Amino acid sequence: MDMGMTVLVVDDFATMRRIIKGVLKDLGFKNVIEAENGKVALSELKKEEIGLVIADWNMPEMTGIDLLKALRSDDRFKELPFIMVTAEGQKANVIEAVKAGVTNYIVKPFTPDTLKQKLEAIFG
Amino acid sequence: MEQMRKHLEALALEAVDLEPEDIPTMGKIVNTLSELQFECGDILKPVCKDMIVALQGYMERMILGEAQDVKLVSDAVSCLQAVYRSMTRGEEIREEDIKLIILRLNGSEGATSRASCDILKLEKSDEEEGPEEEGHNTTQRELTKEDIELLRDFVSESLESLSTIEVTLIDLEQNPEDSEIINSIFRPFHTIKGVSGFLSLQKINKLAHCCENLLDKARSGEIRIDETITDLILESVDTLKQLIEAVQKGIETGVSLEGNIDIDPIVKQIEVVHARSEQIGNKPLGEILVEDGVVSKEEVSKALEEQKRAPEKKVGEVLVEKGAAKAQAVASALREQKKFGGGRGTELHVKVDTKKLDTLVDMTGELVIAQSMLRQNEAIVSSTDQKLFQTMSQLNQITSTLQKVAMSMRMVPIRSTFQKMVRLVRDLARSSGKQVQLTMSGEDTEIDRNVVDELYEPMVHMVRNAVDHGIETPEERKAVGKPHEGKVELRAYHQSGNIIIEIEDDGRGLDKERILEKAKEKNLIEAESSLTDSEIYNLIFQPGFSTAKKVTEVSGRGVGMDVVKRSIEKLRGRVEIESRPGRGSTFVIHLPLTLAIIEGMVVRVGEERYIVPTLSILESLKPDRSKYTSVHGRGELIKVRDKLIPLVRFEKVFDISCDCKDPWDGLVVAVEYDGAQFCLLVDEVVGKEEVVIKSLGSSLIQVKGVAGGTILGDGRVALILDMAGICELSSASA
Repeated sequence: MDMGMTVLVVDDFATMRRIIKGVLKDLGFKNVIEAENGKVALSELKKEEIGLVIADWNMPEMTGIDLLKALRSDDRFKELPFIMVTAEGQKANVIEAVKAGVTNYIVKPFTPDTLKQKLEAIFG
Repeated sequence: MEQMRKHLEALALEAVDLEPEDIPTMGKIVNTLSELQFECGDILKPVCKDMIVALQGYMERMILGEAQDVKLVSDAVSCLQAVYRSMTRGEEIREEDIKLIILRLNGSEGATSRASCDILKLEKSDEEEGPEEEGHNTTQRELTKEDIELLRDFVSESLESLSTIEVTLIDLEQNPEDSEIINSIFRPFHTIKGVSGFLSLQKINKLAHCCENLLDKARSGEIRIDETITDLILESVDTLKQLIEAVQKGIETGVSLEGNIDIDPIVKQIEVVHARSEQIGNKPLGEILVEDGVVSKEEVSKALEEQKRAPEKKVGEVLVEKGAAKAQAVASALREQKKFGGGRGTELHVKVDTKKLDTLVDMTGELVIAQSMLRQNEAIVSSTDQKLFQTMSQLNQITSTLQKVAMSMRMVPIRSTFQKMVRLVRDLARSSGKQVQLTMSGEDTEIDRNVVDELYEPMVHMVRNAVDHGIETPEERKAVGKPHEGKVELRAYHQSGNIIIEIEDDGRGLDKERILEKAKEKNLIEAESSLTDSEIYNLIFQPGFSTAKKVTEVSGRGVGMDVVKRSIEKLRGRVEIESRPGRGSTFVIHLPLTLAIIEGMVVRVGEERYIVPTLSILESLKPDRSKYTSVHGRGELIKVRDKLIPLVRFEKVFDISCDCKDPWDGLVVAVEYDGAQFCLLVDEVVGKEEVVIKSLGSSLIQVKGVAGGTILGDGRVALILDMAGICELSSASA
């Protein structure tokens, strides 16, 4: 895993962003930036080279799933690792995300270990 | 056929790549399968279709981590390829093989789907073994600094979002179809659930989870929001608040985090509603159309049947196609359903400690003073340096802008106070069996932060009164020909430097006869006194006055309007009553814009300057000698508009004497405080000014008769008079 890559954490709840950020820092990621919804995330993605997106599902302005769909329809972001962190644990939601091209998903509440496992699954 | 080949090839490649946990590939397979089904549906044999559906189902379970058998997937894919090959050769396919694989694909379904369906039950068993363990976990676990910080953030963030739920929820009750409102309620629960789970606050997590599920149903239209549901959610909000407050306490004391609040009853209630919804499962659009009288119930249910066969069609479409409803009617029903108003703009805010804000305001005040002293400094006044004057005037502008900004930072819209009334009215109406509609206007009117806090209690009182005593029961209302639903209206607006808040109801109005009767009974007035209407109404502000025949939970305990009046007066405001018998009454509160500034009359007494708050001034006059009387034992009196009012001399209260010894040489300012009137003898009225109140400092808190100090435009210090204190002082010395 490239610990120097920039990870973008997208969640409308500041506490949740802090939690995820903390876990990422513990895992050794040095560059973590935040966005409070999909729209903001998109503009961040245009500004910066981002190696991984961790996004919540339910957010005002632009939801995580809409963000994912927007990214997957853009050639530059087709392969960008995208983890959906969500409490939308229902089957249909997960499947919708997978169909939309999510790289992995995590159902809240989760432990740092879960995130670590998923990251290892993605980056090997 | 060509399409099919392509899809199958893609599928085979994907199946080779597939590994458990490889979610992107699983996604691709699911997508390819649906394309295959969609594009080649008509050339596929039923058994193939079954196979694809089964494989899709299996993939979905795999995505959800309920199935892992990669081998089975590749078997299924090769089987599909074999089918394709035999189709191209025109051979018959061996359905047994396919059926076997379908069976295997579906095979684990029994076990897994039971597992996933029973999430509720699982949680229940969690709970059974939970409590004890939970208790240990949360109490005994050492909280690290980081944890505490996170918890703190969580507490403040969630309490804030919960209070927004309360308000939006009541919006929702009025527009139960508005999906944007449901969403904005859903979101806080959702996040609270997410974060609480992470922080292992199980009870909060569980309750939030239940509410979220319920709202999710509402969002998808499976249940319709009604009063039971809003009640339930409000109750959950209350419980969540308690839990979160317990967490807050827990952080401070270090003991049990969530406290021993029992969430089971409410969780059960939610589950009941949930279960009920599953049985009914109504479709709002159809319902709206039926309510609008556009279509009959039968037609809607027929359309729904049809929709089951063609799921991509919407009920509305089906109805229009069948000619059961006009497109326009459906569109308007849809509009009603959606209520598009779009998302509400979120403003960015920074939370600042009020103490810091107060210091800022204070310091700006000091800055203004220092600046005005600078401007009057001899050296500067006598200077001829043009540049210095330019800089001075620039400084002047900056300080005055700064002061305005600092003042405005203390101002908050009255909205939050108004919105608290929404809940109150709703609960009161519910418990008293009345129907009350609360409307408000001017919620954006800004008011000093401190005033807002102080205003809450009196407003609660008056609104309670309006609902409890003002509004009649639906039967009574019907009997007098009023609409069965009562109205309470809250209004706020600016008027000549004041903020006016009106609380109006369309109830029965104040009962003059009863007030008089009661006042006589309590010896508040003399038996024969003749009073004007407004004087009669004002009697209800007398301590110990209450006309309520029935003591309810919230009003009619005898403490009431006098408290209201006193707290409003503490804010340097006043209350007025207007009442129309049988048509309702209006309470009008006049408040100063801010507590930091007072409007007053600057008067000179000897060498000193005093500020008399405008609010308490009746009039100022230069009395003739004939208006002056001195009565032994009652002191000096001045006749003002045929009324004899005692004269108060400053030398008596402050030991400072006027230049003029006799009232006819100077001026008298007639003031009123709490019904008592008196005249102040002054030398001169210097002018009217809005001054910034500064406290006298902590060492001088006990000074009677002085509310504070201020610095006048000319840099001189003036004391602001406190009428209550002067009243007391003068009667003590008399």
